Amino acid sequence: MLNILDLLGTIGGSILGLPGILGTGLGMMTRNWFVAAGLGGLIGLLSPMVLGGSHSTHVPITLTEYAVSISVGIIAGLLGCAIRHKGATV
Amino acid sequence: MSDKENTPRPGLLRRLWRAFWSPSGVLSTGFLLIAGFICGILFWGGFHWSLELTNTEEFCTSCHTMETNLGEYRETVHYNNHSGVRAICSDCHVPHEWQYKMKAKIMAVKDVYHEVLGTISTPEKYEERRLEMAAAVWKKMKASDSRECRNCHAFEYMDFTIQETRAADNHQRAIDEGMTCIDCHQGIAHDLPPGYLEEYEHVVEELAGEVRYRGEEDLAGIRSYLGTAAD
Repeated sequence: MLNILDLLGTIGGSILGLPGILGTGLGMMTRNWFVAAGLGGLIGLLSPMVLGGSHSTHVPITLTEYAVSISVGIIAGLLGCAIRHKGATV
Repeated sequence: MSDKENTPRPGLLRRLWRAFWSPSGVLSTGFLLIAGFICGILFWGGFHWSLELTNTEEFCTSCHTMETNLGEYRETVHYNNHSGVRAICSDCHVPHEWQYKMKAKIMAVKDVYHEVLGTISTPEKYEERRLEMAAAVWKKMKASDSRECRNCHAFEYMDFTIQETRAADNHQRAIDEGMTCIDCHQGIAHDLPPGYLEEYEHVVEELAGEVRYRGEEDLAGIRSYLGTAAD
């Protein structure tokens, strides 16, 4: 139960963090689905590197955190791209 | 009669959906950008403000089940001390880093769920679950290298010359052996249940099996310390 909550928390943290928000924003900048997914995935990869861990401890970022962050980034990028397709003519 | 007149009027939700995705004929791009920016600030500010409200001691202890924790915490140095500097619930249980803070908030939904279910609603039920709850927190703290403790306490800035000899010795040993705060400081704010040392050892072993987060981690050292403390 706690492990599921842990995973849900990691996903929620990514959605409300850089991968979710910037991923959507970057996805909205292009009509190309692959570029959007790539940009979102890149943010998902960079986000734990830049913002992960903490200033006071030396705990490496886990593979799960990376996987969740990249997945959320890709989905957010695609969502942003869908918004662009639906809401813009350019 | 034209086809347009024969077409039934779409429902409210469909009309709202269409209006949402239609280009604005009356608002300029600049207006939309500025309005969107201001709305963004208001929304984010409101979200963050609400989130900070859930970090207050009043919020944390507003549930009936938190009364036991509160009573125990009030007897500790983190609540009342000579300097007046305090650590409230969120200082120890909610990370400062955004993504981990969000994770903690999402995971805290289980507290509301168990409050509603009444899982620890009586002193007997609370005591029955105390070890399990403590172990969950220890696991989190051990896995994060006591991140929340280290927001205030840092080995780097400890003056061992003004610490008690025993504390200074053990802190220097902790540095040498790569130990973390929770390895020794269980029960710093809440009462310890019987069998806590065995349970903590179990937590350490479980985590050592899952992840090795520090090269210098010395499980045997922690075990020996726990053994010594138990004696």
